[in-house]
Amino acid sequence: MEVFLKPKVKPLIPVEAEVLTPDRFAGMKLSEIEGLPVYVGNRVEKLSDYFELEGSISEKPADQQITILGDASRIKYIGYGMTAGRILVEGGAGMHLGSHMSGGEIVVKGNASDWAGAEMSGGLISILGNTGDLLGSAYRGSREGMTGGCIIVKGNAGIESGIFMRRGTIVVEGEIGSFAGAHMNGGAIFIFGKASRGVGAEMRGNGSMIVCFKGVDSLLPTFIYNTIYKPNFMRIYLKFLFNTLKIDKAGEYFETPFKRYVGDAAVGGDGEIFIAET
Amino acid sequence: MSLSVNGVEIEDTFAEAFSMWGSRLIITAKNSKWANIAALSMTGYATSVIMCDCEAGIEREVYESETMDGRPGVSVMMFGFSRKTLEEPMLKRIGQCVLTCPSTSVYNGLSKDQADEMLDIGKGIRFFGDGFQVKMRMSDGICERKRFWRIPVMEGEFLIEEKFGAKKAVAGGNFLIMGDSSQTVLEAGEKAVEAIHKVPGVVTPFPGGLCRSGSKVGSKYAFLKASTNTSFCPSIKNIFQSSRVPKNVDSILEIVINGLDLESVKTAMAEGISAAVEVKGVRKITAVNFAGKLGKFQIWLKDCLGGL
Repeated sequence: MEVFLKPKVKPLIPVEAEVLTPDRFAGMKLSEIEGLPVYVGNRVEKLSDYFELEGSISEKPADQQITILGDASRIKYIGYGMTAGRILVEGGAGMHLGSHMSGGEIVVKGNASDWAGAEMSGGLISILGNTGDLLGSAYRGSREGMTGGCIIVKGNAGIESGIFMRRGTIVVEGEIGSFAGAHMNGGAIFIFGKASRGVGAEMRGNGSMIVCFKGVDSLLPTFIYNTIYKPNFMRIYLKFLFNTLKIDKAGEYFETPFKRYVGDAAVGGDGEIFIAET
Repeated sequence: MSLSVNGVEIEDTFAEAFSMWGSRLIITAKNSKWANIAALSMTGYATSVIMCDCEAGIEREVYESETMDGRPGVSVMMFGFSRKTLEEPMLKRIGQCVLTCPSTSVYNGLSKDQADEMLDIGKGIRFFGDGFQVKMRMSDGICERKRFWRIPVMEGEFLIEEKFGAKKAVAGGNFLIMGDSSQTVLEAGEKAVEAIHKVPGVVTPFPGGLCRSGSKVGSKYAFLKASTNTSFCPSIKNIFQSSRVPKNVDSILEIVINGLDLESVKTAMAEGISAAVEVKGVRKITAVNFAGKLGKFQIWLKDCLGGL
């Protein structure tokens, strides 16, 4: 079942709308949903102050799709903590998109702002445009960022993406800002564009891996080069990216050799950075 | 009452099969030559649990399009009497025969939905990495996560899936091809095995799928737990009192079939028998049983053929 939210205004102050989840909508009446609280500065307002709602509501979150028909780049926390169902944003999305989500799917056709997928533990986020900083990262003070799930960014990603990542997958088809995967302790980041400096800084290990297909701006000297090879596991990952996640660019690298670096030696880590030798 | 197919008598009897734990694994390699070398090595000396640590066989070759890494592969099935007696030989045989074989990787061939239990095979093999093994998890965030282990080896890296499915399976499905000469039964046996291998979910663990020395339980020698199946030895048919070899039969071959479920074994037996009776000189088809004392499953030959 699908419910449509048409933005009424573009708010000057960002609206915190963590109620925008299939979990919260499921089993409610439209009139009840319209009255759900959103936070604007120090005021509590209603969802209907910012959106016109129509459509049908499911009893179960898994059967519910929420479609935002327009730009929501000033709407924060879309899909916050969702466990199931689907959210489609026709335009852009604000900060904290899908943060703490554990299941379901979010698709953003425009750009997404900072902290998208922060500390998420499951589910899939697809951002067809660019995203801001701290994609799939840990919140300040937290030791664990993303602990599961998958984020796909078709465009570029900002700085400090995937910091303190513990598990899960991040795919950035464009370029990525500095310090991607810093403090990473598990999980995989695939960067199809150029990776900026500081990639993997203080990376620990636990199977953590960053794959750079278009090179890195000054790899940290604390990553130790080991070999160049065509590991079979990479074929599996690339096939998975190509077939399951529909990342067409992955198909170009099936037979590509990769340089393997291990680090960050500065913290005794045994994480891996693979750089495609094209 | 016996029936006749293509003029060959099918005795009204049953094959006595028993319950074992079975597993399926997919070995891939740079090309099918090396996948087959690994599979043959791994399934060697695994004909019967009478003397071997497990029973194993090659199910079929697997196309590139079917494998996880897009390389050619071979599907291998292994059987043991219990979870433990399946797990141990799997670990040893993968460790000694597949891990050592250039370019190979090993994947689970029995998904969690199909399996009764998941065995920690890759998790066990990983220790060969001596601390340098790397775990690998793969997920789209929605479907179940797959886990692998990457082990550094002299050639490069060995990749193995963490868990392998195992389920209660059926072993010891069998039939005997009785013919007028060893040439006849060999030809019929080859055709039967070829037909059996078109059935998914079964293997024939004996050499080339054929066993020329079927055995019975026990022996006149106390130290031997199995000995030649005297009732079916043509060379003593007139001096062994309980011989079951017909007058017009001078050679017999046995085909033993293990499968992941009873239906697969029955289908394979039917396909095998149907192929065997096409060969001129085949006189009779029968099966081995122990009067129902040994195995849980009684697979009647006429029931099998009725299913075709």
